[in-house]
Amino acid sequence: MRRYGRTVAIVVALVTLAGVALGFPTINIGNFERGGDDTPLGLSLGLDLQGGSHLVYEADLRDPATDEPLEVTEDQMESLKRTIERRVNSSGLGEPIIQLLDSDRLLIQLPGVTDPERAKSLIGETALLEFKHRQLAVPNDLEEITQDDILSVTADFLTDPDASSTPTATSTATSTTTPAIADDPDPVVLKVEFSEDGAIEFRMVLDRLMDSFLTATAQSQSGHIPPVPSFLDVTMEGTEQLRFNATALPIGTSTTYAIGFPVDSESGEPPTLDEAKRQVGEDAKIFFTEIQSYVDEDIGLTGEKLTRAFPSQHGGSGAPIVNIEFDDEGTRIFGRLTQDIVLKQETTGQSDQIAIFLDDVELISPVVQTPITAGTAIIQGRDFTLERVRDIALLLESGRLPIPITLIQERDVDAILGEDSLRKSVVAGAVGLGLVLLFMTAYYRLPGLLASIALMMYAAIVLAIFKILPVTLTLSGVAAAILSIGMAVDANILIFERMKDELRAGRTLLSAINIGFDRAWPAIRDGNVSTLITCGILFWFSDQLGATIVQGFAATLAIGVVVSMFSAITISRTLLRFVSSTRLTRKLNWWTPSGKSGLPQQATTGAQRS
Amino acid sequence: MDFVGKRGWFFLTSLLVIFPGIVFLIIAPGLKPGIDFTGGSAVTLAFQDEVTQGPLRDELAELGYADATVQQLEENTYFIRTKELSDDAKATLTSGLETALSPSGSDELSFYLVSPVVASETVVNAFYAVLAAAVGIFFYVWWAFRNVPSPFRYGLAAIAALIHDAVIVIGIFAILGVVADIEVGTMFLIAILTVIGYSVNDTIVVFDRIRENVLTYPNRELAEVVNLSISETIGRSLNTSLTLLFTLMAMILFGGQTIREFLLVLLVGVIAGTYSSIGLASQLLVTWEYGDLRRILRRGKSATATA
Repeated sequence: MRRYGRTVAIVVALVTLAGVALGFPTINIGNFERGGDDTPLGLSLGLDLQGGSHLVYEADLRDPATDEPLEVTEDQMESLKRTIERRVNSSGLGEPIIQLLDSDRLLIQLPGVTDPERAKSLIGETALLEFKHRQLAVPNDLEEITQDDILSVTADFLTDPDASSTPTATSTATSTTTPAIADDPDPVVLKVEFSEDGAIEFRMVLDRLMDSFLTATAQSQSGHIPPVPSFLDVTMEGTEQLRFNATALPIGTSTTYAIGFPVDSESGEPPTLDEAKRQVGEDAKIFFTEIQSYVDEDIGLTGEKLTRAFPSQHGGSGAPIVNIEFDDEGTRIFGRLTQDIVLKQETTGQSDQIAIFLDDVELISPVVQTPITAGTAIIQGRDFTLERVRDIALLLESGRLPIPITLIQERDVDAILGEDSLRKSVVAGAVGLGLVLLFMTAYYRLPGLLASIALMMYAAIVLAIFKILPVTLTLSGVAAAILSIGMAVDANILIFERMKDELRAGRTLLSAINIGFDRAWPAIRDGNVSTLITCGILFWFSDQLGATIVQGFAATLAIGVVVSMFSAITISRTLLRFVSSTRLTRKLNWWTPSGKSGLPQQATTGAQRS
Repeated sequence: MDFVGKRGWFFLTSLLVIFPGIVFLIIAPGLKPGIDFTGGSAVTLAFQDEVTQGPLRDELAELGYADATVQQLEENTYFIRTKELSDDAKATLTSGLETALSPSGSDELSFYLVSPVVASETVVNAFYAVLAAAVGIFFYVWWAFRNVPSPFRYGLAAIAALIHDAVIVIGIFAILGVVADIEVGTMFLIAILTVIGYSVNDTIVVFDRIRENVLTYPNRELAEVVNLSISETIGRSLNTSLTLLFTLMAMILFGGQTIREFLLVLLVGVIAGTYSSIGLASQLLVTWEYGDLRRILRRGKSATATA
C-alpha cells in the first residue's frame, strides 16, 4: 500500500478536482469564468443539445449615391455566409448553423445564450470596412457661384456700417498669407455683395471651411497631426490681378461679405484704403476656389478583399505593427493606389494618404512610403502600442463582411434534437450504462466493480475537462465520448481477461494483477495510439478542408482517449492494487468469473465461458 | 473451435452483406441526402392552441416529414425546417398540423427557402480525411507489428476491416433509403467516423494477441496461431461488443427518436466492427500467408477448363 501512496494521492486529487469542477455549476476564479446555471453540470452544450440564439439578418446593400436598396447576388450572399462561418468558427463559440433564407437573408443560430452581445459584435452586423484614397488639398472651383451672383466688389474699411459679427470669432487664420484681421481694429477689406442665391452658396462654403478648421483643431488637440484644413483661394481681377488665400465673414446685410485684403508682396504691410481701391478699380471680378483639406475617393477596396489582418512586431525595430493581406483583386487595387500616391508625391510633392473607414468612422489614415504590389503591407504608427495594433487588426478583421447586413430577428431557440427527446435518450443511456456496470460486476466480480468505479471517475474527469477547456458538446462530441467510454470499458475488460488467465495459471493475486496489466498494455496502447493518430489526421485535414463537425469529433475523441488511457493505466490499476493489499484478497473467488473460481487451467487452451 | 478453417464462409458472409448494399449504392440513388445537405424550406408557425414539441414531432412524422427539425422560438411558436415545400404541400402540412394539434388555427410568421447547413463538399472532404487517417493507421500498425513477419500485412488487413465496416454501414443505409425512406445527415457522417474508430480499436486487440502468440510460438503454423488468438480473445470481443450493444439497444428502444438514426448506425457498426476483426482482418492474414486467392483462381480456371 505504501508503495502506491503517491499514485493513490494523485488519483484522489484528480477525481476530487473533477468532482468540484462539476459540482459547482459556475466557476469564477479571477478572469477565469466557466460554466452556466442553465445546463446540466454547467457544461457548455451545442445547438443540437441545448439550443441558443436565433438571429436573422437581412442584406442591406444600398447604392452609395442614391441610398436606394440594391439587389444582392447569390455570390455575395455565399461569400457573406462563408465570412461569418469563418468568424464564428474561429471564435470558440461552438458550431453554428448558418443558412441562407430565400435570396437575401441569413439565419445564424449560435449555441448557448450566455452572451448574445458578444455573438452579435462578432458577426459584426454593420461593420463595413472601406479603404479610400485620401487626396490632400483638392481644389473645388465652386461653380455654383457664377459671376452673375456677384453684384459688386469694393475695397473699404471693415467697420464702416454696423459690423455685427465679431471678427475674432472666425479669424484665427491658418494661412500665412492671410492678414491678421484681428490685429488691426479696422483693416481694409474687400466687400463683396452677392445675389440672394450667391450669398446662400457662399455661406455654405464658409460653413464647410469652418467645419474643416474645427476638426483640424480638435485633432491636433488630441495629439494627431491633421491635414491642413480647407481654405479659400481668391482670385481678383481688377486693375491688378491678385491671387491670395483669405478668410471671409458676413457684414451688415446677409448678402455682403468682407474678405481680408492681402498684404503687399513687397512691403509685407496691408495696403492703405486708397491703394486697395486703386487695385480693385471700377469693375473688378472675383473668383473663389475652395481648396478642400482632403477628399476621400472611393476606389472600390472594401473589407471582403482583405484576406487577413493581424498584429505583430516589426522585425527590425520591434515596433508594434499591423499586417494586412489582400486577395487577388484587392492586391491589384491596392497596388494601383499606392503607385498613384507615390507617383503624385514625386511629381507634386503632395503626400496623399490611405484612409481606412469602419462604418464610415475613420480608423487610421496611413501615408504610403513605397508602391505595394505584392498584396501584403504593414501599417506603422508613432503612437502604436501592442494593444492598439491588436485592436486595429481586430477591427480590420471584423470589417470584412462583404455586404452590410441588418438584424431583423433575434430569438432564443431550443435544442434541435428536442429537449424532451434528448431527456429520454439521456435516461435510456444512463440505464444502459448502469446495466453495463452491473454486467461487469456480475461477470468479473470484484475487479468488475472496481472497474465500474474507475469508469465513473473516468467520466467525471472527461466531463470536467470538457467544462474547463471549455469544449462545446454537440452530438458529435457525445459520440466521441461514447466511443472513448467504450474504449475505456474495453481496456478494463482486456485487463481482467488477462488477469483471469494468469489466476487460472495459478499465479498469486498480486502477480496476476501486475502481469495482467503488462500483457493487456500493448493492445490498449496500440488501439489508443492508432485512435489518437486518426484524431490528429482528421483534425488537421478537416481544418484544412473546413469540415468543422469532423474537427469537433476528432478533438473530443482525442481528449476522451487520452483520459481513457490514463484511467486504464492509473485509476483501475491503483484501485486493484489498493484492494489487493487489503484482506479482500483472501476471498479468491471474488476475483474470478462466476463458476470457474480457483480452477487452474491451461491458459493456452483458451477455454472460455461465453 | 476452428475459426480459420471456416474463413471461406466468413468471406462469403461478408460478401453477402456487402453486395446488396453496393448494388443499391450504385443502381438506386445511393444514399439519400437529408436536409442538412440539400437545404429545403423553413416555416415559422405560431399555433393558437397549446402545442408541445413531442406531439408536434410525431405529427410531422405522421404527415411524412420525419426528417424535419423542430425548434421552439416562443411558447407555441416553432421554427420548422424540412424538405422543400411547394405552396400546396405547405398548406397541406399546416392544415394537417392544425387538425391534429391546434383546432383554433395557426399563423404562418415566415416561410423561407433555406440553403444546406453543411455543404456537400464537407462529405467529400470528410472522406479524404478518413482516407488520410487510414493511411496513418496503416503505417502505425505496420510499425507496431515490426517484430512479426510481414508486418505490413497487418496494416493492410486492418484497413480492409475498416473499409469493410464502413461499406456495410453505408450500404445498409443505402438500402434503408430506398426501403424505409431513411435519409442521411451530418449525424450519419459522425456515426460513420465513430464506427471507424471502433473498428480499428477492435481489430488491433485481436491482432495484438496474434502478435503475442506468433512471438511465443515461432514454430507453429500461422493458421494455428491465428485460430488460437481468436479463441483467446473472443470472450473479450463478445463482452465488449455486447456491453455496447446493450447500451445502444436501450437508447434505441427507450430513448428519444431524434437520434435514433445515429444510434442505428452505431449498432450496425459495432456488430460489423466486432465481426470484421475476427471474420475478416485475421482471416486475411491467413489467406495471404497461404496464397488462398491464387489457389482459388487456379481452381476456378481448371474447373472451367474441365467443364
